[in-house]
Amino acid sequence: MPLDYRRFNGPEDSVSYKQFSTNFTRSYDELFKGLFDENGKRIDGREFTEARPLYTKTNVISQAKGSAYVELKNTKVVCSVFDPREIVGHQNEYSIYGQIYCEVKFAPFSCPRRRRGLAPDTDERALSANFKTAIQTAIQSTKFRNFQMDVFVYILEHDGACLAAAINAACLALTDAVVPMMDIFSARTAAVINNQIFVDPTEAEENLALMPTDNETNHGIITLTVIDHLRNITDLQQIGSIDADCLIKVIDILLEECAKLMPLFKDLIIDNVFEQYKEHQVYLSIKKQVNEELSNKVKEWTLIVKDK
Amino acid sequence: MEEYKVLQPFKYFNDHISVNVRPDGRKFDQQRSIKLNANSVNTADASSLIKCGKTSVVCGISLELATPKAEEPDNGFLVTNVELLPLCSSKFKPGPPSDYAQVVNNTVNDILKNSKCIDLKDLCIVSDKLAWVLYCDIACLEYDGSIIDACLATLMTSLKTLSLPHVIYDIETEEIKVDVNIRHPLKVTGLPVATSFVIYQSPDSNVALMDPTSFEEEMCGGNGANLVVCWNQGLLCGIHKFGGATLGTDGHKKLLNVAKERSKTIEEVINTCIANETSE
Amino acid sequence: MAGMLLSNAERFYIWDGVEENFRSDGRSNKDYRPMELETDVVSSASGSARLRLANTDVLVCVKTEIDTPKSDKPGLGSIEFFVDCSANATPEFEGRGGEQLANRISNLLQRAYHSSQAFNLKQLCIFEGKQCWKLYVDILILECGGNLCDAVSLAVKAALFNTRIPFVKAALMDGGNIDLQLSDDPFDSKRLEVGTAPLLVTLCRMDEENIVDPTAEEETCIAVSIVVGVSGNPALYTSSEDTTPSDHKCTTISMSGNGGILPDAMKIVIAEGITAAKCLDEALGRTLLQERNRTNLQKKDSYGFLK
Repeated sequence: MPLDYRRFNGPEDSVSYKQFSTNFTRSYDELFKGLFDENGKRIDGREFTEARPLYTKTNVISQAKGSAYVELKNTKVVCSVFDPREIVGHQNEYSIYGQIYCEVKFAPFSCPRRRRGLAPDTDERALSANFKTAIQTAIQSTKFRNFQMDVFVYILEHDGACLAAAINAACLALTDAVVPMMDIFSARTAAVINNQIFVDPTEAEENLALMPTDNETNHGIITLTVIDHLRNITDLQQIGSIDADCLIKVIDILLEECAKLMPLFKDLIIDNVFEQYKEHQVYLSIKKQVNEELSNKVKEWTLIVKDK
Repeated sequence: MEEYKVLQPFKYFNDHISVNVRPDGRKFDQQRSIKLNANSVNTADASSLIKCGKTSVVCGISLELATPKAEEPDNGFLVTNVELLPLCSSKFKPGPPSDYAQVVNNTVNDILKNSKCIDLKDLCIVSDKLAWVLYCDIACLEYDGSIIDACLATLMTSLKTLSLPHVIYDIETEEIKVDVNIRHPLKVTGLPVATSFVIYQSPDSNVALMDPTSFEEEMCGGNGANLVVCWNQGLLCGIHKFGGATLGTDGHKKLLNVAKERSKTIEEVINTCIANETSE
Repeated sequence: MAGMLLSNAERFYIWDGVEENFRSDGRSNKDYRPMELETDVVSSASGSARLRLANTDVLVCVKTEIDTPKSDKPGLGSIEFFVDCSANATPEFEGRGGEQLANRISNLLQRAYHSSQAFNLKQLCIFEGKQCWKLYVDILILECGGNLCDAVSLAVKAALFNTRIPFVKAALMDGGNIDLQLSDDPFDSKRLEVGTAPLLVTLCRMDEENIVDPTAEEETCIAVSIVVGVSGNPALYTSSEDTTPSDHKCTTISMSGNGGILPDAMKIVIAEGITAAKCLDEALGRTLLQERNRTNLQKKDSYGFLK
């Protein structure tokens, strides 16, 4: 890797200590067995079609216009959205659509297998491009013509389904930032390993889905993004090798899972609106008080001036 | 009130300081509330998150193995990097680290190296053959002033909760085996704590404010003009000041004491956090 | 894509044509434009191919290098794609203008070739854990006439089919280091097994219709396009009878554009993509085998860049 002169670099030949531990080199079959517990369920106790519960909180970054934090059990993602600003880069003509600049970054300590570098690498740039296609459909970019809006995502811990978590965080951050949108959207991921569908895979399951094998079974990862009202698929990303029937089954399962997330998002957004309304009422009452005191003071001082 | 702050920021700030109060209601030497948490990121070998008012910083430590440098065969490596993400504030744009980010990075690194709290010889496994590399990656998630304090506090908490796995190195075959179940805690001597101040040049006299917010930093000369005082368990270990307003020697002496008291509080916070973590 | 300015009248003309299954150049919604393919155009590369799909012109070169395999995949080689949008195609690609498009296409190819069922990297291994072949696939876009992804994937498959990997004659083991000796004879080489390599099919959605192979004008009128990467059938790429035909599977799917698509429509799109890829695969296999048989018998007339 070329030296980054603006940051401190470690020695070039450093390798993760995990590749020297005893359970690093396990064969595909061993790893596959390791995904199940004694009852044949997934190792964290979930069913094959059960997704992890989603924990989310908005307005976590006070300096950003809108922000959200999403946790899918161990996968932790923060997203922030900033106000539109002038388009960066060579701009030759007026852009009738507002532009969206997306950057998805993994924290160096977020991946369990190796440390990621500080500068964005090709994986992260590809992920940012995929992330952008997923969120841009729902945003009304004609409302900020000739401007660029920034959406940043930072992945603190990678335990599978990072892109889906990032997209969900982006939806909530965009609503928190009061960005004009057509509809809310949600995303879910599924992995297919050895013809078996795993909804909302953990990092171990995702790694196995993309591992090179000798057998000819279906394997891969699919991420689906759906907008709420019209139930339109705004983004479908697939990697691996899956035949058409299996693919259709996975799409149906993911549609249901995405639909389950919508009421959660809507409740959160409505709660936020009520909170902000209450805060605004408090603010207005304080302002009224201050204005009253000010006018009283002004009356006092005019009387004093008049006496003199 | 918000309009007043945006339209006339200097007057707004001066009006507050002249009646001995800060815009967020604190006294001059009062710090913001601190929330500290350790070991929340499972993929890192040690991690911690601090929330100091509205400044949030997360630190994660990754361990790697490498061959020591030829000129220092008994030393391991300690690589610290501070990332001021574009996520945390509109002040920071995406791309390579700006000058300010590099300055913060260098300051934190200097404080850590000069405090000698980690002996690089402890990181060496086999002289001239194998040593640990400690990558300490600090990322700022929310930026509201006093970044160096928060970075250092979270870094020290992570270092104190770090334990190194047991490594067996066969000298003849040059084979490395790591047992992740046996762990040795890292030896950390001392606990450097940094305290940031800004010095406000008011018409009457110069006033020092502890633990400034981003707005206070801007009013008092910008990002780099903070006075950073480091105490390491009762020993003064560093003062950094790059430009900005000045304060007389008496004022400075008072500040040093304030910083000393604060370092005791921060030490207590860190130790309580680690005690809670280990007892769970 | 390359800046195309169309008036509203022209857009409606295109939309209405698609609805009637009669596009502006007379094709139906499922017809491809005529293609010309020639392999072995660049003699200094290990394999090369040039594809002309009406106005779209793509040149692909494959270079082979010896590399050490990754520590977690000791028995596999690697393949890397790099797309260069030449400023010849359109002045917008000058400097870093074409970077976004180039990144998109190379990401798509990297994903499509990721699975071992699409392209088996085991055939690139020389010594497990020590040495392997690394393929650098460089794609140069000479002209942009719409439907880049399909043209690029066809040219890449043809170039890989044309690639020769030198045989390893001898190996000296010196402690842990290996010194390889490769044969100097350019014809003493092996070919790659690329029968299962995927082909990308771009399906564009206009109203309720799906069209394949959009022209540059049509590309500016579409709301959403879906690229489906489908693995090939190895039986079409060898003259021998004993290769087992394999199923066509989706190796990658990616969407682009500002629109959405209903789930039922998506299922139809996937099915149509697989059908289109099957036809393309058959045609490509036939052409490549024909060309190989001809060059084995006589010296071929090469057109290169003269046609």
